[in-house]
Amino acid sequence: MKPDELFRLINFCETIQKEGTDPFDLDVKKFLETLKHYHKKWKRLDDLLLDAEAISELTKIIELQGKWIRDRSSSFYIDPILMELKLKMLEPVQLANAFIKSWHPIISMDRITTKRLKEGLDYWNALLPFSERKEEFPLPSTSETFTFDVEDLIDLNILSRAEFEDSIKAVLNDLEERGRIEYHEFIYDDEFESSVEKAYLTSYLVSEGKAELDIDALEEEVFISPSNAPANTGDVRSIPISLSYEDWLRWKRK
Amino acid sequence: MEEEIEEESTLKAERKVKKAAQILFFRRHRIPGVKGWELKKALGDNYMDVIGVLNSALDKLGMEVKRITEEGEEKTEHGRFMIVLKNHLVEKASGERIDDVAMLSATLAYIISKQGKAPRKAIENFLTDKFPKHRIFFALDRYIKQGYLGEDDKALYIGWRTRAEVDRKSLLDLILAS
Repeated sequence: MKPDELFRLINFCETIQKEGTDPFDLDVKKFLETLKHYHKKWKRLDDLLLDAEAISELTKIIELQGKWIRDRSSSFYIDPILMELKLKMLEPVQLANAFIKSWHPIISMDRITTKRLKEGLDYWNALLPFSERKEEFPLPSTSETFTFDVEDLIDLNILSRAEFEDSIKAVLNDLEERGRIEYHEFIYDDEFESSVEKAYLTSYLVSEGKAELDIDALEEEVFISPSNAPANTGDVRSIPISLSYEDWLRWKRK
Repeated sequence: MEEEIEEESTLKAERKVKKAAQILFFRRHRIPGVKGWELKKALGDNYMDVIGVLNSALDKLGMEVKRITEEGEEKTEHGRFMIVLKNHLVEKASGERIDDVAMLSATLAYIISKQGKAPRKAIENFLTDKFPKHRIFFALDRYIKQGYLGEDDKALYIGWRTRAEVDRKSLLDLILAS
């Protein structure tokens, strides 16, 4: 059994409702005969649900047909095409005048009374300070986040310790060969992904004291150079350095 | 004694008419006017008689109490009552620009001719014939906010304020006769 015909009819009903086309375009009698034809073949729950949906859509169209007849017989009825043409022909001033002449504005005033002011004051007095009402405005809940450090990656067998240490050593060798160099010039590589990886490995070199950052605040430049200082043990200072794809692209085009 | 009772009754009726005028003139809700049941609660079961007396007084000032209903609202208590100007205005009474009023006029006439509801996209396309697109979007949103239009699932329909303020038959007749 192919219920495609029913899906088409349901879609057609929905189109009439959305687009506001003539509801009499749908042949109700034929629709009911189609439903009757399928009715004997329904077996599954989905079939019955489809049948119910079709009946529901059909009733909406019959309701629209009733409304259509009421509208046509009312004094408001006018051929929409004629109205559209007429509206296109009129100047804005003529349209505005027609509106003003048929407009009977509502007369309404706003006024704060003494009683209302007293109510407002009572509300203010009864209101707890904002700091005590935080529960009324909860912050959006966020899922708990975790960080993975190198030890976790090694534990999960995503990375081996030897592999990680080899990578660090390669970056250190590169730095020693190049000497003092501008930070981005050092970490940027042919690929953006490998540049990010190099920046990540470089941060380990700095933390372990094998590399040193020298920040020129005036010129807004950061230099990196090899170092033999001991690893961070006391006060730790974080230095944020931005790394963006656009910046990397500009560097590559140079 | 009879005179005293009559006088008291007259005073009571006057108080009720004053109360009705206050309720209807001053805004109590976001939308102006009050529901029939609110008038009944404030004025008693014979609230329609009180409104009748108020109407006669307002008539002298060129105003009237109008009742607007939603589709399917038959009972008087369910309708919304508000005071409107009885005759059309002879002087300017709105800060709207002339082309904004023209846009509203064309939109209402278009929707009325489509049996009270039309897709927003179709209205926008129709208006672009005479007005720039960016102004149409803002204007339609403003008419929705003001209550002249309603929006439901990307379709626009006649709003509560148009039903209260605009004589739709007269608007269509005037446009066709222009």
